[in-house]
Amino acid sequence: MKWIQQDMMTYKEAKDYIDTAVIPLVPFQLSQGQELKKNAFQREVLNLFAGEIERDLAGRVLLIPEFTYLKTSDRQVEGERLSSWCEEIQKQPFNHIFFITFDPAWKKHEQALAGTLIWLPAMATDSMQTSETHQMIRGQAQEMGELIRSYW
Amino acid sequence: MSEKKQQVTRRQFLNYTLTGLGGFMAAGMLAPMVRMAIDPVLQESGAGDMANVGLAVEDITNEPQRVDWTITQVDGWYESEVTKSAWVFVNENDEIQAFSPICTHLGCVVSWEGSEEYPDQFFCPCHNGRYYKDGTNVPGTPPTAPLSVYEHSVENGMLYLGQPIPRGEA
Repeated sequence: MKWIQQDMMTYKEAKDYIDTAVIPLVPFQLSQGQELKKNAFQREVLNLFAGEIERDLAGRVLLIPEFTYLKTSDRQVEGERLSSWCEEIQKQPFNHIFFITFDPAWKKHEQALAGTLIWLPAMATDSMQTSETHQMIRGQAQEMGELIRSYW
Repeated sequence: MSEKKQQVTRRQFLNYTLTGLGGFMAAGMLAPMVRMAIDPVLQESGAGDMANVGLAVEDITNEPQRVDWTITQVDGWYESEVTKSAWVFVNENDEIQAFSPICTHLGCVVSWEGSEEYPDQFFCPCHNGRYYKDGTNVPGTPPTAPLSVYEHSVENGMLYLGQPIPRGEA
């Protein structure tokens, strides 16, 4: 389920069945030229991942809009901001919160987070169009779905 | 000679040009109206399209297998590639069956024999919904309707799938 009008109508009806939230964590920056392309690409890939996970487990997983922050910002401060998101989510009966990200900086602050951090090593390909890339994303998303299911 | 050249009088010339011009303007106004009036006839049908899912009919067994294919979906002005999936197999009566993997409960993706405890059933990992091999939901599990069935056709030995058709409550 996504945070869109149509899905939220279903969500209101079936609240008890949806107990898992997935939040993509996305760093944003414009000043570091050589990283720019990579960061933007990672955001695209992460959204694809999130979409695939949501597609497989749509009836129990709510995909939260991406949590965006400045790449240079202090992760501790951002972590607190993220916690307030989690509080809002946990007010509903959400038993599981998963964060997915390519940003390794979160790994150090994992303990402070109110959910499970899934950090993925960044992918080296620079083309999203090839069917191999799609296959790979699909395969990895399935593995992540498996991981989420093991928590249920 | 000079009399022959004067076959068209000034009055005639003006009549011709004005009728021509008026006709041209009328045509210019009518053409879009006519196009609009017959528009529904010219509209391409987007729904009835069958897609080749890349599976040869001879490869379909009585064990359900998953096929994935992509179609281009136009939603308003937003065009996107959508991945579709189906579980395809041949039933006891030698009929090709193609089920949509979307659970009729809340829309998760079901898998054939997805749970070791329930062989020969479709299983939804989200809330343990189950379906028999013919797609009927197992009573007592969350789903309230059978899995949708794809329209299918066979051309040149390849399987083509169209739209999933929901079946009524069972």
